[in-house]
Amino acid sequence: MTQANEVGAIEVTDVLDTSGLLCPLPVYQAALALKKLQPGDVLELICTDPGSLEDIPALARQRQDVLLAVDDQTGVQKFWIEKGEDA
Amino acid sequence: MTQISIRGDDLTTDRRLRRYSDIRDLLPGPDNPTPLVRLNRVTPPDGQLFLKLEWLNPFGSIKDRAAEYLLAGLVERGELPGAQLVEASSGNTGIALAALAALTGVQLTVTIPDGVPEEKKTLLRMLGAEVWETPDDLCPVDHPTDGAIALARSLVASDTGTRYVMADQYENPDNVRAHYETTGPEIWRQTGGRLQYFLAGLGTGGTITGVGRFLKEQDPSVRVIGIEPQAGHQLPGLKSFQEAKQPGILDWSVVDDVIQVDDDPAYEVTGRLFREEGLIVGPSTGAVVHAALELGAETGDVAVGISPDSGLKYMSYFAERLGNEGLLTV
Repeated sequence: MTQANEVGAIEVTDVLDTSGLLCPLPVYQAALALKKLQPGDVLELICTDPGSLEDIPALARQRQDVLLAVDDQTGVQKFWIEKGEDA
Repeated sequence: MTQISIRGDDLTTDRRLRRYSDIRDLLPGPDNPTPLVRLNRVTPPDGQLFLKLEWLNPFGSIKDRAAEYLLAGLVERGELPGAQLVEASSGNTGIALAALAALTGVQLTVTIPDGVPEEKKTLLRMLGAEVWETPDDLCPVDHPTDGAIALARSLVASDTGTRYVMADQYENPDNVRAHYETTGPEIWRQTGGRLQYFLAGLGTGGTITGVGRFLKEQDPSVRVIGIEPQAGHQLPGLKSFQEAKQPGILDWSVVDDVIQVDDDPAYEVTGRLFREEGLIVGPSTGAVVHAALELGAETGDVAVGISPDSGLKYMSYFAERLGNEGLLTV
């Protein structure tokens, strides 16, 4: 997985900010946002519910997307998810 | 264009004439009970079985009662102005709430399990509700089931910029009160207090708790039977507590027994109710009647079961089970 300081190199297709939303709303909105993307597109997802650190990687596994990077250094969680070929 | 003039403000509700000045005047209660109809062919060997046809309510199911009380409670407590209403529903509560909310000028969002038939989702959207389809495994960690309920609760708890209020049929005692004040007294009057068994599916627990409590207060010997489906069932409206959280309003102290029913016999009995009784009922009615047939009622016993909704919303489920049975093709 890409290190947090290298995420600038990731070409982001769409950004979804779920700050203030509690689980499972961020998961629901992320799934909807990913549904609209094409395989290979990247979603940058911003969350503030700490549960996201477990839920979002699980969502990516479940949907067969690729979790490119995670950044949770500032109390805000950021995820970069590439939509999978079969997702 | 010709203006149609409607004269006579005195044409108010007259139930004897079945004339109503507002669809809400059709909502049920002891003075306007839903029909109680005896089964004559799909019957227990000895006793008599009556079904309370809740699908003859104005918005099509037993949930009209809960929706009316839930909404009235929110209005009375002043919780609605400036808020958006949200509810988790497998369909019927959402449908009744959507209709009543529209009449009250309130916007409703319904979070709904994604397995619910298209007919119900379309009905909700026709009534102006926003529909959020939700898989039960929505939150992959620590939320094993009931994704729709979790999502509705998270809307209320989150800082979304909109204030959401949840009717919460699973936890709100107004749901129980609806059945304690309407369904229970209706059954008691319609049977002349002469019933030995009351049967209802377990879902929110509102019906069985409200009706069971009322009936047992009148006659403690009435046996109250809950119908529970198996895990992974296809009986919308019912909940298996092996996989779903028990609702806070469900009071086990009024439930004498729980009968587990599999999908297949429930659907088989639903088909029999269509063909032998002319009753176009939903699959949960089949589950209730299947359980009633297993009760071992004695001669002269009277059992009353709840028929929560009609079969019209489940045609896609029935079509799947029928296959090509009875279908002529060229």
